[in-house]
Amino acid sequence: MSNVRVTFQEELDQLEASLQEEGQLVLRVLRGALNALGQGDVELADEVIAFDDEVDQRYLQIEETIQSLLARQTPVATDLRLVLAMLHMNLHLERMADYAVTVAKLTKLVADVAGDPMLLQSLQEMGERAEEMIRVALDSFANRDLEAAESLVELDELIDRSNRRFVERVVEVVGEPGLREWVLRMVIVSRTLERIGDHAVDIGEQTAYLLTAEFREFTDASHREQS
Amino acid sequence: MATAEQALNLRGGGRSRRRRWANRLAEVVATLAALTAVAVLAIVVLSIAKRGLSEISWSFLTEPLPLFGQPGGGIAPLIVGSAILVAIATLIALPLGVLAALFLSEFASRRVAAPIQLVFDLMSGLPSVILGVFVFGLLVYGHTQSGIAGGFALSIVMLPLIARSTQETLRLVPDSQRDGALALGASRWRVVLGVVLPSALGGILTGTVLAIARAAGETAPLLFTTSIYLNSVQSDPRNALPNMPVQIFIWSESSDPEDHKRAWATALVLLAFVLLTSLLARAALHRSRRKLGQ
Amino acid sequence: MNETVTMPPMRPVDVAEREGPKAPVGETVFDIQGLTVRYGSNAAVKDVDVEIYKNLITAVIGPSGCGKSTFIRCLNRMNDTIPGFNLDGRLLYHGVDLYGDGVEPIEVRRRIGMVFQKPNPFPKTIYDNVAWAPRVLGMKKGLDERVERALTSAALWDDVKDRLKKSALSLSGGQQQRLCIARAIAIEPEVLLLDEPASALDPIATQKIEELMQQLKRDYTIVIVTHNMQQAARVADRTAFFSLQVEGSERYGILVEYDDTEKLFTAPSDRRTEDYVTGRFG
Repeated sequence: MSNVRVTFQEELDQLEASLQEEGQLVLRVLRGALNALGQGDVELADEVIAFDDEVDQRYLQIEETIQSLLARQTPVATDLRLVLAMLHMNLHLERMADYAVTVAKLTKLVADVAGDPMLLQSLQEMGERAEEMIRVALDSFANRDLEAAESLVELDELIDRSNRRFVERVVEVVGEPGLREWVLRMVIVSRTLERIGDHAVDIGEQTAYLLTAEFREFTDASHREQS
Repeated sequence: MATAEQALNLRGGGRSRRRRWANRLAEVVATLAALTAVAVLAIVVLSIAKRGLSEISWSFLTEPLPLFGQPGGGIAPLIVGSAILVAIATLIALPLGVLAALFLSEFASRRVAAPIQLVFDLMSGLPSVILGVFVFGLLVYGHTQSGIAGGFALSIVMLPLIARSTQETLRLVPDSQRDGALALGASRWRVVLGVVLPSALGGILTGTVLAIARAAGETAPLLFTTSIYLNSVQSDPRNALPNMPVQIFIWSESSDPEDHKRAWATALVLLAFVLLTSLLARAALHRSRRKLGQ
Repeated sequence: MNETVTMPPMRPVDVAEREGPKAPVGETVFDIQGLTVRYGSNAAVKDVDVEIYKNLITAVIGPSGCGKSTFIRCLNRMNDTIPGFNLDGRLLYHGVDLYGDGVEPIEVRRRIGMVFQKPNPFPKTIYDNVAWAPRVLGMKKGLDERVERALTSAALWDDVKDRLKKSALSLSGGQQQRLCIARAIAIEPEVLLLDEPASALDPIATQKIEELMQQLKRDYTIVIVTHNMQQAARVADRTAFFSLQVEGSERYGILVEYDDTEKLFTAPSDRRTEDYVTGRFG
């Protein structure tokens, strides 16, 4: 079977490669933000904020390419689902980078405070979970692996668990003098990291859509399991 | 790799010059051949016209010959006779020819059509003298010569011509027309009558006119069936009818130079008739082609 | 990552397992069972099983030579005119086998009309083109109204109402095709078969024909053969995909997939359909 739409296929391949590269950029941004947070490194935080511009650039370029593809090539069936999935993933990746920037900005705001080591540790764990989820999301898309995509729901559970431990610690520590503003900011950081996890799940849902042609939220499945 | 100069050398070298001469030579030879053919026709027309024109007059065309060999008079009986003979022939050949062509083209299967087609081809190749002898044996022997026999003989000449030209015309009607009509739930006959035949009428007319032109000049079939010399206009086809081609033959054998002159004049009249009808037929064909959207 | 990512093969997730057809399916007009068509000893299509539903537009798509035209011409017995044609299987029209004993092709064609790829108006006036078949079939009363109704339904009345006595050949290509549609619906068939009706027309004329089909399906059941996939996607409620099967020296067409158009173009069940609609196989 010969592929007569070679150019079109190449365009699709390049688009996907571009998206994966954007994913790698997002991972770098997140790693940078987490390091800055852990070390209280304001300069690193600034670099992270600046680096987000690159992600934004990539985001816009991918948007344009998809618009062009839709107009010129009228993709159908799998091609259509692939392009639509990539359109959504692009959005989720860009949001994730923005959240990482939020973390960096919050790091800068509290740079002068040492903070609570246990809470910081908790946040690092959540951050690592988020990183893992991003990797799983990107890999499951690249390999068209439905099971791996669906496993993101369970990984999201892990972030939730870390978050619960975090909240318990917050309750213990919030009364200490000089820490109240810091704790407040860190709560926002934890929310932000959780949201990064949510977006990774969304990317998994797009992979599932591509493979099954169904518009479905994973949480339906997990709710059924929980009961 | 060609230099820029070589690439731009569109004038060509020696080989192209020889090519040009060969082209020109071929053109000249072809033109000469065509002109020769035209010249032949021109010579025929001009020589007949030269010898016959002097006799032509209104009285020549409308009066019968004088009773006792006086000079003057005309070929009115011949013209009328020829007209009646051709009319009879057309009356027989036209419906038969068109129906046969319709059958062959629209209804017959390949196996049935092929032998019938062959018969028509053979028929058109039959020497007209043989036709004359045949009709003589069939209708004249034991009876008298008659215009009917003559008309019948001419119809055998016309039949394959009309059938063939009708077939050609029917072939020109595109199958998409037939499909369109059939798809509307019309029967085969309705399709033929309502769509195919109306489109083909022009071509059929042309073929008929050409066949008439041909039949008007046939001599051999008439020699055996209606070869007579009369002074007055005859119109009863049960008797033999005088006609132009036979009379030309008879007069040319005579020793009287007056007869010779009359022969040339009659030949001119016949020639004029044939040429005019042929031109008419071509014009009609052109019109009908345009109507079919070709 | 500098290398382009080539798509790994899809996991065989059963995309066919979704809810049933979305377009409400009404009465069955054609029930085709095991249809096999041969010309002489050569098979053109084999073993086609399909149901065509009332008041829907059903498109037949597929590569050249896969028997789409052969298939559609079976529905109104137009293949009868082709020598060597023979048919196996059953072709039921409202339960009646169209190829059964005693069935008159003429009666079949009065109920199942056809419009061809290249517009083929008769060299008559516009009026006579539309009026010819009704006259011939005995529908002589109210001929003027019948002609006007047909031309109106074909979106041609306004264009020609002042020149009904002019030759049909004076119309443009798109108008001629609409005239052929008017001609077909003048005898009030139930079904309209359109064999690539717009392939000889320019894009604007094509668009008009597509619009027309959407209006016509209210009153007629429409089956359209098209080699233009986008047209099928735009116009059809259901789509049947035919493809070529090669068996040794034999080449014949088969029905690969038949479903809601939307399903066929977003998540086809068969890999061959996927390859065809995405243009992966020429």
